Amino acid sequence: MPPYTTEAGDTGGRKQWGLAFLAIGMAFVLLYLPPGAQQSIATGLRGSILYPFILTQEALARGSTARATVLGMQEEVEALATRLTTLSTLEEENRRLRGLLGLQEREVPAFLGAQVLRPSTRGSESLFLVDVGTLNGIRPHAPVITPEGLAGVVREVGPRISVAMDWTHPDFRASAMTEDGEAYGMVEPRRGEFREVDRLLLNGIAYHEVLAPGTLILTSGRGGVYPRGIVLGTVDEQAEEEAGWRRSYWLRPAVSPGAITHVLVGLGDRATGEMEP
Amino acid sequence: MTLRVGVWVTVSILAVLHFLLHIGIGAGRWAPDLLTVALLLGVREVRMGPAATLGLAFGLLEDVFSLLSFGANAVAMAVVGAVGSRTRDFFVGDSLLFLLCYLGMGKWFRDTLHWLAEGEGVRGNAFQILVLDGVPQAGYVAVIGVAAFLVSGAWRETIR
Repeated sequence: MPPYTTEAGDTGGRKQWGLAFLAIGMAFVLLYLPPGAQQSIATGLRGSILYPFILTQEALARGSTARATVLGMQEEVEALATRLTTLSTLEEENRRLRGLLGLQEREVPAFLGAQVLRPSTRGSESLFLVDVGTLNGIRPHAPVITPEGLAGVVREVGPRISVAMDWTHPDFRASAMTEDGEAYGMVEPRRGEFREVDRLLLNGIAYHEVLAPGTLILTSGRGGVYPRGIVLGTVDEQAEEEAGWRRSYWLRPAVSPGAITHVLVGLGDRATGEMEP
Repeated sequence: MTLRVGVWVTVSILAVLHFLLHIGIGAGRWAPDLLTVALLLGVREVRMGPAATLGLAFGLLEDVFSLLSFGANAVAMAVVGAVGSRTRDFFVGDSLLFLLCYLGMGKWFRDTLHWLAEGEGVRGNAFQILVLDGVPQAGYVAVIGVAAFLVSGAWRETIR
């Protein structure tokens, strides 16, 4: 250890205070930088100093997946094959009806499978990484879905790794509708007393539309970010009402962010990147 | 001089181990905050300016995955670095008990500063962050830190 000296007797004391204040000042500058500049710094560090750690998690995740999911995948493939057999008849019927009505062929959004990597550093609570990026055709604002429903959206895209936020992020919003398409609203997250009880709020429902508990809520496709028909959650209970004007409802989210390991990331329209025409 | 090399090797190993646990393995909440332990050990070896700069660098790396409050870790760790360095002038005790208190209080102080630096809309429940999570985390980090110092021998020459 260096010798213990008092700052008064230390000729460099004032310089040390100055250096310390400079470093703390720089930290405050980082805190108040515009989001774009903050993202640039973060992306630079993720792609350099911290990249080996990201690669480590990617390799470990791939290894554990390969071991754990072979049996599960076998069952899923069988279930999907059965479902596809039924759907092919419906698809053909749909195509013929569209032809009779003179409707355009509907573009189905493409998705790419990805592994979820989750850092556990302080402040990374609503964030996860997916092992696909611009080299795979991923763009910012691409939807991230699981078999259960909508998990989140891609925020930043790197060449091989992208940063996505889940539905608990305060900036998350999705245009929503009921399964029958009768009621439309906007879904947004609400912080619980503890993070484990974060939930979704369906806002802006017309006053005359009363939704029963258990009603399925899906994305409406409005806004072009999320494709129509992805499950967001089910109605839990009414949150509030403004007499004669609107109601809002608490939703039970379909996806538990902490449990996701594999996702599908939307590729969207090849020309515009939009998920809904 | 040998001790100094030993301390800085320990600081480096703890920092790498921290990122390996939190990013490489994604170990979650059971993984201790070894970056704070590394900072609290390192800043006892240097003066205020370099200590705050080391805290800034560590905090910036921690902030890389923070979408909601980028910079909050940098502020917290820069302040902890500067204050940790000053503790040499006020507390010369290098006993195990001092080390436990120093690490525990340092970790709790760091978490409190981070909570304060986070934005109003992002900030979690104070009781949960500072008491329910903060106190056990501080104790956990103190115990892990002492064990790491004893194993590495970084603090050996100063422990009585």
